[in-house]
Amino acid sequence: MEKSIDFIKYRFAAIAFSICLMIIFIAISATKGGLNYGIDFVGGYKLIVKFDDKNINEATIRQALSDFNPVVQQIGEPEKNEYIVSTKLASAAESVAGSTTSSKFDMLKSRLFEKFPTAKIESEESVGPAIGDYLKKSAWKLAIMAVIMMTLYLAFRFEFKYSVGAMTALLHDVILSVGFCGAMGIEIDIPVIAALLTLYGYSVNDTIVVFDRIRETNELKGKLIFSEVVNKAITQTLSRTIITALTTLFAVFALFFLGGEVLHNFATVLLFGLVIGTYSSIFIASPVVYWWDIWRANKK
Amino acid sequence: MTKGMVYKLIFIISLIVFSVLLILPTVGTKQMEIKFSPQAVEENFEAVKNRFSSSDYEITVNDRIMIVSGRNITDAIMNEIRTYQGVVDAKLLKHWVEKVFLAKKINLGLDLQGGMHLVLQADFEGIQKKLGRELTEKDKSEIAQQALELLRNRIDKFGVSEPSIRPRGYEAIEIQLPGVKDPSGVKKAIGTTGSLEYRLVDDKYSALADNWFKQNYKDKKLPENYDEIKAIAEEISKAINLPDNLETLFFYKKDETTGAIIPERPIVLQKEVSLLGTDIQEATVDRDEYGQVVVLFKTTAEGAAKFAEATSEKNHGRKLAIVLDNKVRNAPNIKETIASGSGNISGGFTYEEAKTLARIIKEGALPVDLKIIEERTVGPSLGQDSIEAGIKAFIVGIIVITLFMIAYYKVGGVIASIGLALNFIFMVATLSLLGFTLTLPGIAGFLLTMGMAVDANVIIYERIKEEIKKGKSVRMSIIAGFDRAFWTIFDSNLTTILAAFILFQFGTGPIKGFAVTLFIGILSSMFVALYITRFVYEIISLNKKIKKLHI
Repeated sequence: MEKSIDFIKYRFAAIAFSICLMIIFIAISATKGGLNYGIDFVGGYKLIVKFDDKNINEATIRQALSDFNPVVQQIGEPEKNEYIVSTKLASAAESVAGSTTSSKFDMLKSRLFEKFPTAKIESEESVGPAIGDYLKKSAWKLAIMAVIMMTLYLAFRFEFKYSVGAMTALLHDVILSVGFCGAMGIEIDIPVIAALLTLYGYSVNDTIVVFDRIRETNELKGKLIFSEVVNKAITQTLSRTIITALTTLFAVFALFFLGGEVLHNFATVLLFGLVIGTYSSIFIASPVVYWWDIWRANKK
Repeated sequence: MTKGMVYKLIFIISLIVFSVLLILPTVGTKQMEIKFSPQAVEENFEAVKNRFSSSDYEITVNDRIMIVSGRNITDAIMNEIRTYQGVVDAKLLKHWVEKVFLAKKINLGLDLQGGMHLVLQADFEGIQKKLGRELTEKDKSEIAQQALELLRNRIDKFGVSEPSIRPRGYEAIEIQLPGVKDPSGVKKAIGTTGSLEYRLVDDKYSALADNWFKQNYKDKKLPENYDEIKAIAEEISKAINLPDNLETLFFYKKDETTGAIIPERPIVLQKEVSLLGTDIQEATVDRDEYGQVVVLFKTTAEGAAKFAEATSEKNHGRKLAIVLDNKVRNAPNIKETIASGSGNISGGFTYEEAKTLARIIKEGALPVDLKIIEERTVGPSLGQDSIEAGIKAFIVGIIVITLFMIAYYKVGGVIASIGLALNFIFMVATLSLLGFTLTLPGIAGFLLTMGMAVDANVIIYERIKEEIKKGKSVRMSIIAGFDRAFWTIFDSNLTTILAAFILFQFGTGPIKGFAVTLFIGILSSMFVALYITRFVYEIISLNKKIKKLHI
């Protein structure tokens, strides 16, 4: 018989680690002024511009467009001389006059061509403030709906204590992944929301595989006490947990390094989320089930 | 092998063959037919040939028709070719599989082929000002419908084929225009309000025009582009010696299945405008005393006098055409003089037709300004870069996953990799059947599902390993492994499916694509692991002497 690894022993260390990480992320996010919503959610314009003139750099573009207070960032290989130029609709006054959105965008573009005749616009986006607000609300609504539906399914398929464990782990992943976006200054746009929802699905998926085994082991436990059951189940599923995390990570790594600029944030969030999601099913979800079990036993 | 297993094998093989057939239109070579006008000169042909000069394309020319074949032919390229000089028409030819199985091919999203995506909204504030009252929710949805009608009426002005216009929620309208070259032109065409006029029809010349048209254009498909239609109308006017006070326009019909507005036949109208759109105040759908669907309308005070004049006795029996943006949308008969300022239009309409007509009349009465609230334009070169990056990431990702699985599980890894390949084929086939649009996040979804798809195999293999360790025979371990893994795989995948489903609800364009690939990918990976892989192991365990399993 293989020896089980004592995962439950690390429960306090793990919780302390997670809470520290949360505090750090939230603190950094706070100093950066909260979450950095992209133009999808606050409205604004975004251009991808390419220049033939090699003397142009981020600073010169920023200078030329200073009235519009844009964010300028070089993307891709340096020799391609490609930049993202974006400005958000910051002030409420601007947001009220929705119809001025596109004319201001035209002004920005004509200024760009005036200062840099070699500019070539590769892509342009403009999102009005009303639709951004609508998208933001529905993104939140659906994220909450996702959590509720998963809880319901778990409550239906498993005992309540497993549901509590899985949801605590999910909440943990939500706070850490959103906190990660805030701390790293990752722009929250629609692809990032997609990445977040995907990794919540993945995280719960991972947790269920462990729980499924805890439940099964518990039914034929013999003389084992519950903490031993949990340890045994985690140990038995450990190689599966690691291999699946690895193959999924390979896919995400490929997107991260080769998927191009558009998918970069998406892949970054997934990369962090996968690690956290795997960690949480072992070190957060399982101890919570364990605690819940002890608490129920003491109450009786 | 038992009889049941033989049937299973036949089922699996036919499923694979069918799926491979279905993906042919997507991954195989595509063909585009380019028609040149009789006036086209050699230079025009050369210009098109130069566009396809790379070795990826093959060109055959037969008189005025050029066929270009190659993998990389998209709607955006087709629309680009249409703007070349001397080209009358360009269209993508259907793959034989598309004809036989009614399958579609996977189209590229605008982020991959380049194009323009717009979300529009009626300017409710402006309308409120004009009306001088607050709009109710019902008004708003009615106005949004009207705006949709207006856009369908002018879509040809964008010079784009394969456009898509659909309502998003009840307040906004989403337009997708692949390969559009002139975004500012499109925006201009959308920004102007519709012009609605009522003009008398000249029956004598209409009959002449119709005759000429039937003789010369009998079997030909009319072009979608408005400028070309206008050219035909002018050609007709010349052919029938139309007097100066008359004008040939085209009568348009709404295609019931696509909702597109298509030209039907020529009709000759007086140039003089009898009534303006703004002379009518209200239009509603109702039934008359015989139970027929009619459109009721009310004119304004000034409109009443003009209407009485237009429907006066001398015009009885003539038709009054309803013209929106120079397109005749209806031409009811004048039966009696309407002096009271209200009347009805009957004509054996269906309820839908009547509603469309009422909307058109209202559009004239209350022109709707459209506002662009979201705009995304991707240039063709960025689209090309994106698709290349996406495909590269996909291939590299798959290779790494496959190598890892084979290194770790040996023979089991090879079986899992074959499963992965089948999974890919099934996914593409299902998405083809659905006529799916592939976007960059969609490619990411593909790759991600591939990474997660091996999970089912991993769970099964690890389980079999454990059972073998417990001392069970290989045969029994395989059976126990698959049985025990079933519910684990089912439960764990269901949560990801939930996430995908919710993403789909939220989805705008590209993200919807991601959600669909995730959803289909998980279903097909479960099928491959729990049905096909299981079958492979059932065959392996037929060999009763098997002592060792390479997993």
